[in-house]
Amino acid sequence: MPDVRGILLPAYVVADESGSMSACYQELTDGLTSLFETLRGEPMIAAKLRLAVLGFSDDVEVRLPLSDVRYEERPPTLSIRGATSYAAAFSDLLGRIPVDVAMLKADGYKVHRPVVFFLSDGQPTDRRDRDWQDPRSRLVDRDHTPAAPNIVAIGAGGADAQTILAVATRPEFGFVAVPGADLGRAISEFFQMLTASLVATGQAMASGNPEIVVRKPDPEHFRLAIDVV
Amino acid sequence: MWNPLPPWLGGRKGTHPVAPADPACPQLDEADIALTLQPWSTVVIDRPSPEVEPSPPAPEGAYHSDVECGGWSTPYVTLRVASVRGLSHRYYGKPRQDAAQAMAGDAVVLAVADGVSGAESSAWGARRVCEAAIGDALRQLRAGEAAVDWPTATSAAAAILHQDAAMWLGTGEADQAQTERLFATTLVAGTVRHTGEGISVSLCRVGDSGAWILTPATGHFQPVFGPKSDPGNALVDGTVRALPRLPQTLEQAAFSLGPGEVLLLGTDGFGDPLGEGDGPVGALFAKQLATPPTPLWLAHLLDFSRETFDDDRTLLAVWPRAAAVGTEEGVHSGR
Repeated sequence: MPDVRGILLPAYVVADESGSMSACYQELTDGLTSLFETLRGEPMIAAKLRLAVLGFSDDVEVRLPLSDVRYEERPPTLSIRGATSYAAAFSDLLGRIPVDVAMLKADGYKVHRPVVFFLSDGQPTDRRDRDWQDPRSRLVDRDHTPAAPNIVAIGAGGADAQTILAVATRPEFGFVAVPGADLGRAISEFFQMLTASLVATGQAMASGNPEIVVRKPDPEHFRLAIDVV
Repeated sequence: MWNPLPPWLGGRKGTHPVAPADPACPQLDEADIALTLQPWSTVVIDRPSPEVEPSPPAPEGAYHSDVECGGWSTPYVTLRVASVRGLSHRYYGKPRQDAAQAMAGDAVVLAVADGVSGAESSAWGARRVCEAAIGDALRQLRAGEAAVDWPTATSAAAAILHQDAAMWLGTGEADQAQTERLFATTLVAGTVRHTGEGISVSLCRVGDSGAWILTPATGHFQPVFGPKSDPGNALVDGTVRALPRLPQTLEQAAFSLGPGEVLLLGTDGFGDPLGEGDGPVGALFAKQLATPPTPLWLAHLLDFSRETFDDDRTLLAVWPRAAAVGTEEGVHSGR
């Protein structure tokens, strides 16, 4: 058996790139930049993370494959386009995560349960609910997908609380923006919460506690989806 | 027949055993000292972790020093122990949450604990379960028990956590959840005894701290307990098992420590980078533990730098002495 080179947390930012996000493109870009700058300022935590950024609309575009952000020259950028296919997002993750985990293990790492931060500002445009619910169910089924991720879901704009709750793997991992909240502010808050959660999780893992830590977003902008449905 | 005096003392009675000079440390005259004395450089394995200036540790019931180390010999075994605050805890201002203690009575009694980081004062919890487990084990042996009943000793460790939690909370008693929230900690405890046949070891554990039998000559680390995660699993196990929660069936092991073998107890801060012992961390410790190092050198080794491994590290090692195993083979020179 090869040497253990480290224990890594694969983290996936899955961001809605549909047309309705165009109004907050700047906040998306700024949020990714801030995330990268924060992680670069926390080299001990960054060393234990591998981060991927995926943009989804009608399909999935890989904006950053699973990477060590310390060695990335610049943060990735998202591109506004198309509709909001949750089916595309979950089908992509269903194929991608097991391959990424196998690759890390082949490189001599042990791997914590991956985490997905899912951001959408609207309802899925898939023809039928089961078109996205089926791949999502297979993705989080630990018998079907041994590397099944935890999913933290954040709904902004027109995202429905019930839908976000159905995406998140635990009720306390689903958040929706308060009615009337500014979409741009909500996107900024999402990235602050994402960054704080990754830093807190990294600190916990450094101390031998492998539980994901989800920092609740500012209650002025978000509520737990379970409290809204 | 066992001669309690080491050979280099020539059998002079009433003289305390003196360890030979550490061959790793050059003998210097005064003139050389100023010119050649250099600080020990950090032992770097593969890619180093970043260098950081430690932040003061947050108080967790008491002051917990960044480093503890020690060592001594009985007529039958030599013991070394070191515990170092992890880089992450130094950076984020948390105390060392590992603890280790050893006492010699009717047997050498050992304990190593790793406070769960999610608990508020796990550094205190780790220290207290070591004290309690060792205290109860010694009590049992003094009472004439042939062997320590480990379920009783671990129950005593859990009870001391509940007792402390009740005091901290100012309540008459503390329930499982309250005590866990304050003091959750792993524990590996054991006895090392000289019998007619050699050195017998009895161990128990709660949680993911580990124990190994190291054979320095081959560099093989034989784990005493099962792995932290099933090697067949895709991911590392996220379950934390810790005192005060007592398992239905306590993990226990009993075996003889043979000539040329070293008993190791350690927290996962050592066990994780060690892995199966066949990498550079295993090679380093197999070589350096072939003979008992000085306690300070053990602490220095344990403070090695390797990217992504920045948890507290604790290692307790026991070497049988020649007379205990009836042979000179495999025993460090001069003993």
